[in-house]
Amino acid sequence: MRKIQISVALAAALVSASAMAADVRIATEGAYAPWNFMDDSGNVAGFEIDLGNEMCARAGVECEWVVNEWDSMIPNLVAGNYDMLMAGMSVTDERKETIMFGDEYTPPDPSSFAAASSADVDMANASGLKIGAQGATIQAAYLEANLADGNDILSYESADQAVADLVAGNIDVLLADTSFLEPVVNGSGGTLAFVGDKVAIGGGVAPGYRQDEGELAAKMNASLADIKADGTLSKLLIEYFEKDLWAEQ
Amino acid sequence: MLEALSLWISNHVSADAAMWFDYFTNGKHLAWYASVRFTLIAAFGGAALAVLFGLAGASARRSGFAPFRWLGWGYTTMVRGIPDVLIILFFPLAFEQGVEWLMAQQACSAAELASGVWPPCDGAQWYLSTTEYLIMACVSLGLVYGAFAANVVYGAMDAVPASQLEAAKAYGFTKRQIFMRFQVRQMWIYALPGLSNVWMLLLKATAFLSLLQIADIVLWAERLGAPNYFARAGMLHPDWRWRYYLVLFLFYILMTVLSEYFFKFLEKRASRGMRLNQGEATA
Amino acid sequence: MSEILPSFPNSAFVQDIVILAKPALFNIYFAFASIPFGFPFAVVLALMKNSSSGLVSRIARVYIYAFRGSPLFIQFFMFYSLMLAFNLSHWKPMGIDHIVMHPLFIGPLVLVLNTSAYAAEILYGALRAVPHLELEAAKAIGMNRLQTFRSVVWPNMIRLAWPAYTNEVIFLFHATAIVYFTLPVINDEKDLMNKAGELFEKDYNVFLHFSVAALYFLVISLMIFFVAGLIQKRLNRHKVPTDRQSLSYKPTFLR
Repeated sequence: MRKIQISVALAAALVSASAMAADVRIATEGAYAPWNFMDDSGNVAGFEIDLGNEMCARAGVECEWVVNEWDSMIPNLVAGNYDMLMAGMSVTDERKETIMFGDEYTPPDPSSFAAASSADVDMANASGLKIGAQGATIQAAYLEANLADGNDILSYESADQAVADLVAGNIDVLLADTSFLEPVVNGSGGTLAFVGDKVAIGGGVAPGYRQDEGELAAKMNASLADIKADGTLSKLLIEYFEKDLWAEQ
Repeated sequence: MLEALSLWISNHVSADAAMWFDYFTNGKHLAWYASVRFTLIAAFGGAALAVLFGLAGASARRSGFAPFRWLGWGYTTMVRGIPDVLIILFFPLAFEQGVEWLMAQQACSAAELASGVWPPCDGAQWYLSTTEYLIMACVSLGLVYGAFAANVVYGAMDAVPASQLEAAKAYGFTKRQIFMRFQVRQMWIYALPGLSNVWMLLLKATAFLSLLQIADIVLWAERLGAPNYFARAGMLHPDWRWRYYLVLFLFYILMTVLSEYFFKFLEKRASRGMRLNQGEATA
Repeated sequence: MSEILPSFPNSAFVQDIVILAKPALFNIYFAFASIPFGFPFAVVLALMKNSSSGLVSRIARVYIYAFRGSPLFIQFFMFYSLMLAFNLSHWKPMGIDHIVMHPLFIGPLVLVLNTSAYAAEILYGALRAVPHLELEAAKAIGMNRLQTFRSVVWPNMIRLAWPAYTNEVIFLFHATAIVYFTLPVINDEKDLMNKAGELFEKDYNVFLHFSVAALYFLVISLMIFFVAGLIQKRLNRHKVPTDRQSLSYKPTFLR
C-alpha cells in the first residue's frame, strides 16, 4: 500500500511541476531559417521567435519556447504538450480540421523549385525527376497531387536534410517556401539555382492553437494587430527576409 | 574561462586554431556536450527499472499461482516479439492518454466527457516536458529490457545449485524465505553475463531519445551538422552531419568498452565472494 | 475510454490490418534482402576472427566490435550522410541511375553491415565449440584442412549456431522498424512504423494503430521462429533425443 501512495504522490508532483511552467508554451522546429533556427549559442532564434516574444510581451503573458520535430508538431499540440505553435506553418483547410489558426503574420508566400545550377531541369515538362520536399508540408501535398506522375517524390524529416540531398545530387529538384530557399540559393555560391515558375500553395503563415483555445488566440491576435499597426512587424520582416512581405501584396 | 583559453590559443598557437576552438565551444556545441546527461540518465534509470521488471517477471513466471505465471510468460514473450522502438514510442503516448483519461474523470463534467472531443476539458490536459518524457523513456526502456532481464534472471535462478536450496529446506526455512534469501541472492553471479548483455542493448537503445522530443546527443548532432546558409544562424558550412554522427558512433563504442571493463570487474568481485561463501559452508 | 480502446473485432481494427499489409511487406523485404548477403559475410568474418593470422583476426575483431558496440540508428544516419558526402548519389553502377541512395538499397546495405557483425560473433562462438574429438578423428583418418572444414567444422558450426542465429534474424527483422526513421520516403514506399505513425497523426488513436503494427511484428516473428524450428529439427535429425539435449548450444535470447 505504501508503494501505491508513493507512486500517486510522484504523479501529482509531476503534474504540478509542469503546471508551474510559463503561461504559454510555444512550439517551433528550430530548423527552418530564417523563420526559426538554433543560433550559435544554442538557443532558438529567428523571425518567429522575435515576433512571438513581442506578441507575448504585449499580451502580458510569460512565454516559453519548446523545440519539437516538424512531423509531430500538430499531434503534440493537440495532445497538449504546448499551447501554441509558430513554425512557418501555412494555413490550410486540412490543418484547420484539427487545429485553429490565429491571424496570419505573413501573407501567402509562393513556393519555389531549386536545382543544381549545372543541371538542365525543365519544370514545365517534368518527368523522370526526383523531386524532394519536407514531409507533411503543403509542398509535399502539392507534389503528390501534381507531379507524382512520372516522377519520384521524396519526403524528408526536415528541410535541412532535403537541402543536403539536393546539394549532394540525390534529388534533382527541391520544392520549398521561397523565403526558406532564398538564403540557401544565395549562399550556395552559385551551385544552386531557382528553376521553373513559382507555385502558389496554401495560405499565409499563422500561429496554430488547439480548437478550444479561442481565448488565447484572441489575445494573441490583438497583440499581433498592434505589432502590425505600429510597423514593428515590417521591421522584423526586413530584418530577417530583407523585404516586407506584406508590401508586395 | 573559455575566452581566456581562446585568447591564449590565438596568441600561442594560431588564429585558425582559436577560431576552431571558439566554434567547438560555442553555446550550440556546449549544449550538445551537456545533452549527454539525458543519455546517461535514461541508461541508468532504464537499467535500474529493467532489473526490477526483470525480477518481477522472473518471479511471476516461477509463481505457484497460475495467472501470475501466464502474466510473466505473456510479458516476456510479447515484449520480445515487438521491436523496442515501437514500445518506446507507444508507451509514453499511451501512458499520457491513460493519465489524461483519469484526470478527465475527476475534472470534467459529464457533458464534456460525452462530447467525444479529446481531451474533454482543460483540467484533463497533462503537459509533457523533457522531464516527463525522460521519466517515461526510462520506464519504456525498463519495460522492454526488463523482459530480456526476466529471461536471464529466470535462467540464473535455475542455475543455483539445488543442493543449497535443499539444505535450506532441511534447516526449516519457508518456501518464501528459500526463494528470497537463497535463490534470488545466489542467482546474481549466474545472471551477470546475461545482464551485461542486456545493459549493452539498453545503452544502444538510448539513441532513440530524440524520437520522444528530448534534445539528446543525436538531435543536437543533426542540428549541428545540418548545412547552414544563413549567416545569423552561425558559421556557414555545407552538410557536415557525417562528422558529427561519426563522433556519436565512437562515443557509443567507448561506452561499450567502459561497460565491458566494469562488468568484468563486477564478475570478478562476485565470483570471489562466491568461493568464499562456499568455503565457509564446507568449513 | 471507449473511443481510445478498440473494442475487439471492430471494423477499424480490420481496416488497419488491411492498410498495414503493404507496409509490412517493406519490413519483410528489408530483413530478407539482408539475410542472403549478411549470412555469408558473417561466415567470412567469423573465420577471419578465428584466423591464426594476427592482422586478419584483428581486422575482423575491430569490425565486429564497432558494429556491435554502436546503435544501428546511428549507423544508419552515419552511412547515409557519409554516402552523400562522398557523392555516391552520382554513382551509376551498371548504368542504373539513382540506385545507390535508394532506401530499398541503402536500407539492406546498412542492415547487412550490422547483422553480419552480430551473426559473426554467434558463428565464432559456435566455431570454438566444435567438438574436439571430432576434429581429432578427422585428423586421424587423414583429412586435409578443407575436408575437415567441409565435413566436420561447417556442419557442427551451423548446428550449434542455429538457435542463436534464429534469434539474430528476429532482431534483424525488428531492426527494420528504424530504417525509415533515418531515410527519406519515396512516393508511397512506407513501412509499418511510417504508416502506423501516419494513421496515428490523423485520429490520435495510439492503441489501435500501434497495436496492429505490433501484431504484424509479433506474428511474423512467430512465423520466423516456427520455420527456424523446423530447420533446427532437420539439422539435428541424425541425433537421438538424449544426445540432442547434451549437444544443444545454449541460446541466449540476446543480441
